[in-house]
Parts: sequence; C-alpha cells; structure tokens
Amino acid sequence: MEYLYDGSFDGLLTCIHHHYYREAADGIYQLQYYHPTLMVNSMAVMTDLLLAKRVYRAIEKKISPEALENIYHVYLSSSSDKENLILNYLRLGFKIGSQVDLHLTHPHVYPIHKLDRKVSLEVHRLLGLLRFKDTGRFLYAVMSPDHHILVLIADHFADRLAGERWIIHDQKRKLAIVYDGQYDNNQKSALQHKWYLTDFAGQVDDSITREEEHWQQLWQLYFEQISIQSRYNPRLQSQFVPRRYRRHLVEFQS
Amino acid sequence: MDILNKLKILTGAAKYDVSCSSSGVSRNNQGGTGNTKSFGICHTWSADGRCISLLKLLLSNDCIYDCRYCVNRRSNDIPRASFSARELADLTMQFYRRNYIEGLFLSAAVEKSPDYTMEKIVRVLRLLREEYEFQGYIHVKVIPGADPSLIYQAGLLCDRMSVNIEQPTEKSLRMLAPQKSLPVLYSSMQQLRDKIREHKADRRRFRHTPSFVPAGQSTQMIIGASPDSDLAILHTTQALYQNFGLKRVYFSAYVPVNQDSYLPAITTAPPLLREHRLYQSDWLLRFYHFKAEEIVDEKHAQLETELDPKTAWALRHPEFFPLEVNRASYEELLRVPGIGPKSAGRIVRQRRVAAVSTEQMKKLGVVFKRAQYFVTCKGVYPGDRPFDPAAIRRVMLPESPIKQMSLF
Repeated sequence: MEYLYDGSFDGLLTCIHHHYYREAADGIYQLQYYHPTLMVNSMAVMTDLLLAKRVYRAIEKKISPEALENIYHVYLSSSSDKENLILNYLRLGFKIGSQVDLHLTHPHVYPIHKLDRKVSLEVHRLLGLLRFKDTGRFLYAVMSPDHHILVLIADHFADRLAGERWIIHDQKRKLAIVYDGQYDNNQKSALQHKWYLTDFAGQVDDSITREEEHWQQLWQLYFEQISIQSRYNPRLQSQFVPRRYRRHLVEFQS
Repeated sequence: MDILNKLKILTGAAKYDVSCSSSGVSRNNQGGTGNTKSFGICHTWSADGRCISLLKLLLSNDCIYDCRYCVNRRSNDIPRASFSARELADLTMQFYRRNYIEGLFLSAAVEKSPDYTMEKIVRVLRLLREEYEFQGYIHVKVIPGADPSLIYQAGLLCDRMSVNIEQPTEKSLRMLAPQKSLPVLYSSMQQLRDKIREHKADRRRFRHTPSFVPAGQSTQMIIGASPDSDLAILHTTQALYQNFGLKRVYFSAYVPVNQDSYLPAITTAPPLLREHRLYQSDWLLRFYHFKAEEIVDEKHAQLETELDPKTAWALRHPEFFPLEVNRASYEELLRVPGIGPKSAGRIVRQRRVAAVSTEQMKKLGVVFKRAQYFVTCKGVYPGDRPFDPAAIRRVMLPESPIKQMSLF
C-alpha cells in the first residue's frame, strides 16, 4: 500500500501509524506530487492529530528525542524521497531503539544523518546570512533557502529582536514568519513570545526610506573597508557565502 | 567629519586585528535587544575570505605610540578620526537590528594615555549596555598599561577581552614596539584570569554575582614581522593556554604597511601559508591533545610548509602506525592524519554496535586519502602502497612534480 499525505508533519506521522496498525506501507508520498501507477494500491490518508501525537510520543519514548529531531529536520529538507527515508529509519528505530543512531553507516540511518546535517547547516548559515530592512513600520527580511527552515530560525529572532515587529519571508515557498513585537513585561523569556507561520504570496514594497539607505550604505562601506587587499581570496569567500545566497545580501549589491 | 568618513578611516585602521569570533557565551534576551549563542554566528565573509561576525572598529586611531608594524603609529602621516560614544552605539544598534552583525569588537589607539583611552571605552560600553539595553556580543581590547580598575569595569560590561601580545618574545616586542613590554601585558592577562575565576566561583554560590568576561580572553601575535621561529611561537602559545587559560591565540600574517629598516620590505607578501600551518598546530594543541614539543623541536624549529603538522608528526613516528581503528582509543585516533574530533567520535560510536570496515571510513567523515596509510580496519591495511614513511611522504606532497627517469 502506498500512503499519500497532505504534506504536513502530522500527516506523515499518521501514515506511519497506518503502516503499523492497518497495512504495511510500500511507500509514503505527498498527495500533491504523486503519480499513480496501475500496479500498486494507494490511499489518501486523512491527517489525524490524535494518531500523529501518539506516533510522536512513541518515537520520543521508544527511540529517542534525537531521533524525533532528526526526522523533523529531514521532513523539512527538500529531498524528494524524504518520506521513505523517514519510514525506513523509523522501522529500524522501533526495532532496535535508541541505539539506532549508533549505526552511522547503516543504509537506513546514514541518509537521515546526512540530510539532518544539511538542514542544520543551512539553519546555522541563515542565522547570519539574513538581512532585515527597516520599512518604517516593521523589519522585513527575505530569503530563498534550499530547505524549509523558517520554523527553525524563528525562535532565535523572536528572542533576539523581541522588542521589534518583523517579518521573515521565504520567497521560494511563499511563506512567512510574522512576529508582532508586542513586548510583554510579565513574560520573562522572549522565547515565549508568539510568532506565527503564514502564507505570504504577496510582494512587499521594495522602496526604502532615506534612513534605511543611509545604514545600508554604511554597511556596504564597512564590508568593503574591512577586507585586506593583499589577502584577496574570492574562492575562500565563495565557500562560505555561496552565490545563491548573495542576491538577498545588501553587501553583495553594488 | 561625517560618519561615512569616520567609518572608512576607523575600519581601515582596525582591519588588521584578527579576532572576530562571537562564541563562548549563551545569553537570552532579558528585555532589551540581542542575545548571544555559545557557538557564535558569522554574518558574512569579506573579499579576503575572512568572516565578519562583529563590527570591528577603533574608537580612535590617534595614537601616542610608535609601534613599527602598525598603520596607526604616531609617525605615520594619515588622516585621524574618533567616534563619539553615541555615534558608535547608534552604529552598533542599527547594524545589529538589521542582522548585519553579531555584536561589537571595540579597540582603540592609545589616545593621550592608556587610562584616558580605557575610560572612553568604558563609556561606550555603559551607553550600549545601560541606555540602549544592548545584549549582543561585545569584545573589548585591553589597552596595555591601563589601570586595573578600569579594565575591571570594562570586563563587567563585555563578553570577551583580549590583550594583544603582538610578538612571541620580549626581544622582538622591544624592537618593534618600544613602548610595550611583555611583563605589563602578562600582568593584565593575569588580572583577567584571576577575576574570571573569582566571578565563576562566586556565581556558583550566589546567583546574582555579575558575570565577568564570560566568554573568556584571547590574544593575538603578528607572524613574520620579527625573525622568531615557529618553535618560539608555539611554545609561547602553549604557555599562554596553560598559564592564563586563554580561549584562543590568534596569528596574523604580517602585512607590510610601513617602510622600516627593522621590518620586512614593503613589497613582501604576507606569509599566509605559514600562518595556516600555525593555525593547524594551534588546533592540534587545543583539540587533538598534542604538546608543542611534539610538533616542533630544536631539530625541527620551523613547521614544514609542504605538509600539515599532523602528517609531519606521523611520518616522524612510524612506530605508532598503522593503527587498528576498531581497537585504538579516541586519543590515538586523533593522531591519525585524516581523522579529526568529529570522525574519531563517529568511529568510537559506531564501534559500540558494529566493527568499522574500510568502506565505511569515508561515510564516517574520514579523509581517506590521507588516513589509508596509517590505519588498519578489521586487520586489513587499506593503503595503496606499503607503510613506508619515505614513500608515503612522496605521495602526500602537494602535486610533487613527477621526475622522468633518466635513461643514462
């Protein structure tokens, strides 16, 4: 049986549940991208939050919290085969428990760790390679990351820029995190502040204020001045700031 | 002078300082702007491939000292500028909220006197931390010879401090920076070390003890401005880690900026490869359990430029190899060229459930090209030639020109 889910994490976990309690899965695919074939039965799975929660807990308890984090990161990756990688990994995990992550070179474990590293690397990169501009009403940042990392960077900025209002826009996926900046003194940690994920197909007005232009100009000047000519090394620079990230970086626009 | 010109002058004057790390302390936002992450965050990389994490600036480049290697030396005829505390604080805040930077790296030329300068630095820190409620990362340079009480005040407001020792030996320092001396620099380092320890111990008992330089102290040495050997540099480095508990010792390949009979000619290229080898050795000291004596000794006072220091060590110690990866300890694995702390950790983890075979080494992150000559996996030696240091050295050398055999 091939299970088709709606693209949500809970949907994916519901499929995992069906694999154990209904019929073994031959594969899990996202409904949207599925091409039916004559030979295999398929079934569209209704996302069931209760079942998803049960699977979530089971992974945490019977395998490990790390395993749960691993599959969440893989789910957020842009790998086309991620659902089946997750299925294989979990099947092994439910068999041998927390030791699953010690089998680093196992064909069902290795790809999971590799994708997890890729996603984590991009999260780390974007914590630095993200630029806000002050529109006068809120801070606005735009990015086009390889993986769906919006939800993984939101907490960081919600804490760091707790007193601001901001939007981080994922142009590729037409999604955004909106943080309303209502600073509440009763709450101790900014991490508890609310941000939410929303569809964001629209365009934000690209014009910038005089003041914004001033700061951008100073930043560009700084960026240029801090480099030492006799150590010029654009290849090294490219390793750290791959070209695809540059179009959203103020300092690379001239 | 407008802010654009000031920024231009005072960035240009600060760029030879190497340290840019924003790591070593985790702090959540307590109701202002900013936080810090223990792993540090780089925000961009300039055209020379160096990371930009902190806004690195001099408060002023107006210096009373005349250090020979420095662009800002008194006898140089260059434009001078100073930031006001507010200008600098505004710049930091505006860059920070746009996520350009992780924080501020504040240094200064010695203006009027060390105390005068250090006081000015403390004023900037006060403004940022108290009025602007800035909670991002701040790295402050200790002005050599400043009053300990001023250094202490600054330490309560910043995350990391550094005292630049500039040269590995007193002799070189005397020659190139006649107004500085190692004992004075060491006494500042000692003060920082003692206060850091004291505050750490107190914080364990009393929750409200303020933190003092929570990300620790670092220093920097200029490489290639004096004739000191790598032996002297690495021994000084090791002593600094041991005696003062430094987090980092930075090396900076000397970029000739001044014409001076005591210095390499102005046309000399910065010794970048040497700097790279020194950093590799520094990594061996900090993460690979090596001692400076193992990396360089009287017979090998300079690091080899063609081989990395670990491979050089391994080829001098054939009795240690080949090593069976399934039995060697973590520390032993770290000695294998091509295996680092990460891959060694992975080997040790996988070993708990399954023996590691040759084919799996690459998947575990081992640089097999180098490691193959120094290990066995389940008793099998995977190298493409027998374990012979001279032969291995030949294949490890960078693009060694293949000599045609002469017929006669």
